[in-house]
Amino acid sequence: MVINWLLESWCSFMARVKVKYFGRLREMLGVKEEEYDVEDATLADLLMNYIPKRHSDAAEEWRQSIFVTIRGEVSVSRDGAPLLRNYFVLIGGRSVEVTYKLKDGDEVAILPPVGGG
Amino acid sequence: MKIKVSNKLDDLNRLVNEIKESSSEIGAVIIFIGVVRGVGRDGGKVLSLEYEAYEDVAEKALEKIIEDLKEKHGIIDAIIEHRVGLTNVGEDTVYALVASKHREEGFKSIIELIERLKHEVPIWKKEITDKGSQWIENP
Repeated sequence: MVINWLLESWCSFMARVKVKYFGRLREMLGVKEEEYDVEDATLADLLMNYIPKRHSDAAEEWRQSIFVTIRGEVSVSRDGAPLLRNYFVLIGGRSVEVTYKLKDGDEVAILPPVGGG
Repeated sequence: MKIKVSNKLDDLNRLVNEIKESSSEIGAVIIFIGVVRGVGRDGGKVLSLEYEAYEDVAEKALEKIIEDLKEKHGIIDAIIEHRVGLTNVGEDTVYALVASKHREEGFKSIIELIERLKHEVPIWKKEITDKGSQWIENP
């Protein structure tokens, strides 16, 4: 009983998400899509911690590309959320804020500024 | 309405006939053709353009644009096809066709459609020239 409860609680904090990269980000990280197992994480955690940790060689370029930075530091909003540059993030095809809490099965697409036509 | 984001565009004459057949009320068909320019942003000679798209979302975004134009300008129908993959100088990359009762709403709509395509639809373009390569952001 207790074991089941613990297992359910643990599972509710864990989420496996798929992340898709396009254009310059795909080239920067050298991967089109990949999965992350995250624990009680927001989108900001994924962007600030999980992705740069896995791609340590490109971590600084990643930070400078997708976040607003001042003297190398990521700028944050009043509520402490990191500010994205002109990048959009879609989850399940919908635009979300960086404070979004990641759920198991989410498909996160990180979109650089577009250039079609 | 027809939307396609793919590595091959359909025959343009066929698309014109297709849109004309969609309604007997059509009095004008305005066509935009995007072509790979030979001179790059860096001033170099373009060797190729590489397009990449978040295809499902791009097609939904284009559908939304056409629905908006139907509501705003009263156009009858539209077709948009956009290339992905490697393209060479002189090749067609975009076909956009707008069918309307009169030319005025057609001209307004085709401009708005292309502007929105360039700024809202998740499609990316890498320009490869004799001076190097760069991902192009639409101004």
